[in-house]
Order: sequence, then structure tokens, then C-alpha cells
Amino acid sequence: MENNNNQRKWRKVAYGGMQPGFNDNHTDETFLQEMVMNANVVKRDILKVMLDSLSISQYLSIVSLVVLIWTHTLNSTITHTSLLILDITLLASGFFILLLTAKMLSFSLLINYSIKISFFTTSLYVLSPIYHTLTRSISSDSIWALTTSLIIIHLFLHDYSGSTIKAPGALETNPTLASNISLNASIVASLLIASRLPSRVLVFAVILFSLQVFLFAPLVTYCVKKYSLRLHVGLSVVVMGVSLGCVYELHRVMFVVLLAVLGFVNVVCPYWLIRIQEYKFEINGPWDEAKLCFNITD
Amino acid sequence: MLHLIDILLQSINLSTIWCLVFVSEFTLTYHPFFFFVAMESKQGTKHTILMVSDFFYPNFGGVENHIYLLSQCLIKLGHKVIVMTHAYSNRTGVRYMTNGLKVYYVPWKPFLMQNTLPTFFPTLPIIRTILIREKITLIHGHQAFSTLCHEALMHARTMNYKVVFTDHSLYGFADIGSIHMNKILQFTLADVTQAICVSHTSKENTVLRSGLPPEKVFVIPNAVDTTMFKPASERVVMDVIVIVVISRLVYRKGADLLVEVIPEICRLYPNVRFVIGGDGPKRVRLEEMREKHFLQDRVDMLGAVPHAKVRSVLNSGHIFLNSSLTEAFCIAILEAASCGLLTVSTCVGGVPEVLPDDMIVLAKPDPSDMVNAIKKAIKILPTIDPQEMHLRIKGMYSWQDVAKRTEIVYNRALNSSNQSLLERLSRYLTCGAWAGKLFCLVMIVDYILWRLLQMWQPDTEVEVVPDIKISRTNHVTEVHPSM
Repeated sequence: MENNNNQRKWRKVAYGGMQPGFNDNHTDETFLQEMVMNANVVKRDILKVMLDSLSISQYLSIVSLVVLIWTHTLNSTITHTSLLILDITLLASGFFILLLTAKMLSFSLLINYSIKISFFTTSLYVLSPIYHTLTRSISSDSIWALTTSLIIIHLFLHDYSGSTIKAPGALETNPTLASNISLNASIVASLLIASRLPSRVLVFAVILFSLQVFLFAPLVTYCVKKYSLRLHVGLSVVVMGVSLGCVYELHRVMFVVLLAVLGFVNVVCPYWLIRIQEYKFEINGPWDEAKLCFNITD
Repeated sequence: MLHLIDILLQSINLSTIWCLVFVSEFTLTYHPFFFFVAMESKQGTKHTILMVSDFFYPNFGGVENHIYLLSQCLIKLGHKVIVMTHAYSNRTGVRYMTNGLKVYYVPWKPFLMQNTLPTFFPTLPIIRTILIREKITLIHGHQAFSTLCHEALMHARTMNYKVVFTDHSLYGFADIGSIHMNKILQFTLADVTQAICVSHTSKENTVLRSGLPPEKVFVIPNAVDTTMFKPASERVVMDVIVIVVISRLVYRKGADLLVEVIPEICRLYPNVRFVIGGDGPKRVRLEEMREKHFLQDRVDMLGAVPHAKVRSVLNSGHIFLNSSLTEAFCIAILEAASCGLLTVSTCVGGVPEVLPDDMIVLAKPDPSDMVNAIKKAIKILPTIDPQEMHLRIKGMYSWQDVAKRTEIVYNRALNSSNQSLLERLSRYLTCGAWAGKLFCLVMIVDYILWRLLQMWQPDTEVEVVPDIKISRTNHVTEVHPSM
């Protein structure tokens, strides 16, 4: 003890050996003084949480629409011409929306895109005979079971806050492993379904359709959401309405299930999240690892 | 005739061989430098302590060093110390180190980062045998990451031994990994007799993580071997100021902060040089920085520095820079200060407790604040006298002092009351709704296994090791690992 000889006060230091008059297990009122509880807790507003959960239910509806189209093609209630027309309309409207919302889309980039898409479509067309006979030796039941589980995996691991496919010129972090697995699961699911179809043109049309949706629908909805929140809400409501209507025509029980899921996601979950906030218990203090205040660019 | 001679020769050969064997056994037992003397029963408050950790020599680090030096000083105080760790590659069995420190390398292979596989029960027989063979009175476990330590403490408690645990690290509360670790720590500490932490911050952390009452947790800091870390006899010239960094180059040690700070300091002071000792995944980033700012001639990268050379590297500099993002105690800055270097460090964890304010310049873990701290350090550098600083450190930290304070904790642990299994189980039950019952179940199974083992091989049938007393010659004053 160098300068504290006159006042025998306990200090929170480790040097100088055992402090005279105090045991090593001495605990005074400064103990845990620097502990901070629930410093980073955000107060959430139920309306905002519900708005945020809208993108989940929107994507759920989009996927249920895809499944609807699959069932209709398998039941042969849609001809391949109408399916192809649907493909082209979807592609065109997707591009149109991207053009409207994105700011950095130039003419050369558009040309680049159309060349890539035409390559993609051609190769898909060439490969469709292979897909056509891909699962011939497997029973339809197992294909349905596999597809259902793949779609469930897809929905669980899907990145609802962003988009796995990046918008042109977007400087964002790489997609996570989970979102990649999700995307691949959806692609495998669509290939499996397409392989049960009777004709090659149908196989081609269905794969093209499902790939368009699984690859680009998240991108399009993400762009729309970034462009305007109102448009996003409107689009979500329209998509949800359309899918509910279509499911209602096809199957009553499925309609109830879908309605329940959408209600759960949009109303019950936000309320639940707000309710469990009061159990939040977060501890911070000097023992925490310091966070760097700059970005590390490797 | 020739045949007969041959037989005769052979028999002579045989007998000489037998003679040699006897002689060698004799010299082994009564070697002039090793007196194996069976000692009488322990008198007074001398304990037989078993130090348990996954981390020990030949591995190298803070915990290993701590166990070794603490054991040496406890031996000097008259206690018997035995170390137990897992096998390191082909190093298994019993080894002796300086001053008769006995080390059991239990044949249990490590699987990840020098940790053994968490298996709960299979370690019980060997730990029981060691405890009985060596007539252990107290078990002292080190480091929360060590599975061997957790298992040994669990078995020791089952067998009604008193246990002490030292926590050497800090842990957060946020991510899944730390939640899991904290539960395990809670399990071990639920029934520990006394606990030791290396700094007050570490104590707060441990109390929060384990729910131990604070008065059961002692703060005994690390120390530094001041005979090993001495300043150079004459001071390095001050025309060029050398800033030394010795740490593993990893994220947790703040290597990314160095990447931001070094170019700025080199820009501000043309007479500053950096010496960086250490290796790790972030070394590439530092080398990139060096090339990007053309600092090849001003930033020296030494790579990994063996512990024996740390002193000479430290003595080539004037300022020691520590950029850790988390640190329970930080022995590195203590070693630097013992060598008479002025320390600049990030103010994290237990670092502000280690040195008095006039021997260290603290900064927030943020590049601009660290640059300011280094500026301040360069300004006050002429007022620093390395020899005086060394003497001050010598007065503040010594392993003998640590051993004496640890002895107090041991005495306290041994004087605490014995508890029955039911009392102990009730303590485990409070650890959590599900975890508590799980912990109880583990302890009950362990208890049953112990009882079965006792039936299979009663305690009295385990052979007790005779105590070894090594002749103490005067030259054994400095403690060094003699490997």
C-alpha cells in the first residue's frame, strides 16, 4: 500500500497482496455495481410487429399458391399453354416491378439479364426429358411425402427479412447457410413434383414456374417492401386474399388450415412476442467482451 | 572340454547379469540424490492437495503456469502437491517435476483444444484410486473449460472430499455457448466448498454465472515470477521508441484494433517502431496492413515467441501494448511491467485492477482512444524508471504470497462442515427446473457407482504410495519448469 496508509479503505484492486484488515472474500457495496440489466431491450409496438410479420404470411401465401398450381397441373386442370402464358406473364411482371423499384438498373444490365434467362430457359428445356423420367421408379406417395417435408424445411429456414438472391448492385452480406439450404430444398421439391407430370412440356413449364417463384419472388417482394411500405401491405393483402380464395375452391379443410396459420403468424405470434418481453433478463457488465466499433473488412 | 568351458562361461554371464539387476535396483531405491523416505502421518495443517486441470505442461499458457508455480510455492510451504491432467500424446503415466512435484498424466485422450471428452462416470475409478493412493485431503480444480476438472470435482464431492475451484476466465451471458458453459459451471460450483477467482471482475462474473454466495468466492490474483522478468541492466536508447505487442493474434486479443492503431501511430511519430510477437489467424491482416502502409521496416513481426524468450523481446522495447477485448486478469501486462515497460492497455475485464494508475495508461477499446493513450504514454515515458518499476512490481506480486493466501482458503475449506448426500442433493435441486433434477440424477448415479466400486475394491485394498522426500539443497530457489 503506497499512499493509502492513513485511511484503511478497501479498494477494488488486485495488486499489493492481501489488503490489510480485509479477507480475500471481502464483498462490499461496490460488488456488482457496474452490472447493467436489460440495457439493449427494445420496446416493441404490437402494430409494428404485426406489420413486420406480414412479410412472413405473404410468403406463406405465395408458396401455397405454388402448391395450388402443382396440384392443378397434376390433376390436369391446367393446360401447358396456359401454364406457359403464366410463366411469361410472371417473368414480365417481375421485371416490370424490379424496373420500377430498383434505382441502379441500367439498359446493359437488363440485356445481360435477358441473355442469362434465355440461357437458363433453353438448358431447362433441353434437360426436361431427364426430369420427366427422374423418379419413375419411386412411388407417388413417397414423392409427396418428400416434397411436403422439403417445403416445410424451406419455409422454416427461409430468410424472411431479406432475399437470398441479391438485387443488382446491392452491397450486402453473403446469404446465410440456412437460407441456402432453404432455397435448395425448394428447388428439389419442384423437381420432384415436375417429375410426376405426364408430358415434357408440362415438366418444363412447371419447373420454370416454380423456379421463377422460389428464386425471384423473395427478391421482388423485398424490392417492393423497400420501395414503399404501403405497396408492400397492399400486395400482401392481395396475395393472401387470392391464395385463400383459390384454396377455398380446391379444398375446405386446407382453407381452414391456411387461415389458421395466417392468423397465428399475424395475430397470435406478435401478441405472444410482446407478452414474453417482460421475462427478458439480460445482464451486461465489465466482464463482457468488448465490441469493435468499426467494420472488419477481410 | 571346450563345451564345458562354454557352459561355465554362460553361467558366469548369467550371474553377472543378475548381479547387475540387483545393483541397479539398489541404486534406484537408495540413489544419493533421491531419498525415498516413508513419512509418518501428517502433522499440523499440512495438506495433500490434488490439482486437477486439463491444462498442464507440456501445453503452455496462463493456467498451466499458474498451476505449476502455485504448486511449487505450496511445496515450499510444506504441503504435498500432486497434479492430475490428461495424457499429452505419448506422455502418460507418472512424472516428477522440480522439487518432487508428482504429475499424473491420466491416459485419457483430449478431443478438442486440449479438452477430454465429457464422459461423466468412466473417470471415477481412476480418480478414486489416485485420491486414496496419495492420501489426498483436498482437491483443487482449475479452469471452467476443463472437463477433467469438472469430473474430478464431481467424483471428489461424491466421495466426501473438500474441493476448491479456481476460475481463470470471464464469460458472457448472451450466446448459446456461454449459456451451456454457465450451466455446467453452476453444476460444479453448486457443491464446491470454496471458489477462487483471479480478479474482482472475475468474481462478479463467477457469482452471477454460478449463483454462489459472494462470501464463498475469494479473489487471489495471479502473480509474476519477478526473478524471470527483469529489466535490462542498461536502458535501451530512447531515440527510437519501440512499442512491443506480445499476444496470440486472434479476434479476442484485439488484433483488429492493432490493424487500425499501428498505421496511425507510425504516421504521427516517425521515431516509433513496433515489435509484434505472436501468431494466429489474424497475422495475415497485420501483414497486409504493413504492406499497405509501407511499414515493413518499422513493424517487426516475430511470429510465435517461446516463453523463455519473452523477456528478451520485452526488454527490447519501451512501451507494451495490450489490445485484448476480454481479459480476466492479463498476466502479459504484469510481465511487461516487471520488465520495466510502461503499459498501454484496453480497459476491459479485470485489466484496470492489475496495476496502479501511474504504471498503466488505459483506453477504451476503440482505435482513436487507443491512439490518444499511446500519445500520452509516449509523453510520460521519460519519467519512467524501469528498475524502480521492477522493484515496485516485486513488492506487489509474488507467487509465495499467492500460495499463502490460497493456503487460507484451503484451511477454510477443510474446516467447513461435512454434508450428507441429501443436503447436497437439495442444493443441486435449486439449480433449475429441469437442470436441477438432471444434476441430482447424475450425482445419485455417481454415488451408486462409488458404492459399487467400494464393494468391488475396498478402500483398504488400494495400495498407498510411500511419501517421497527429496533432499532440499540450497540451490533450489528459483522456480523453473525443468522439462
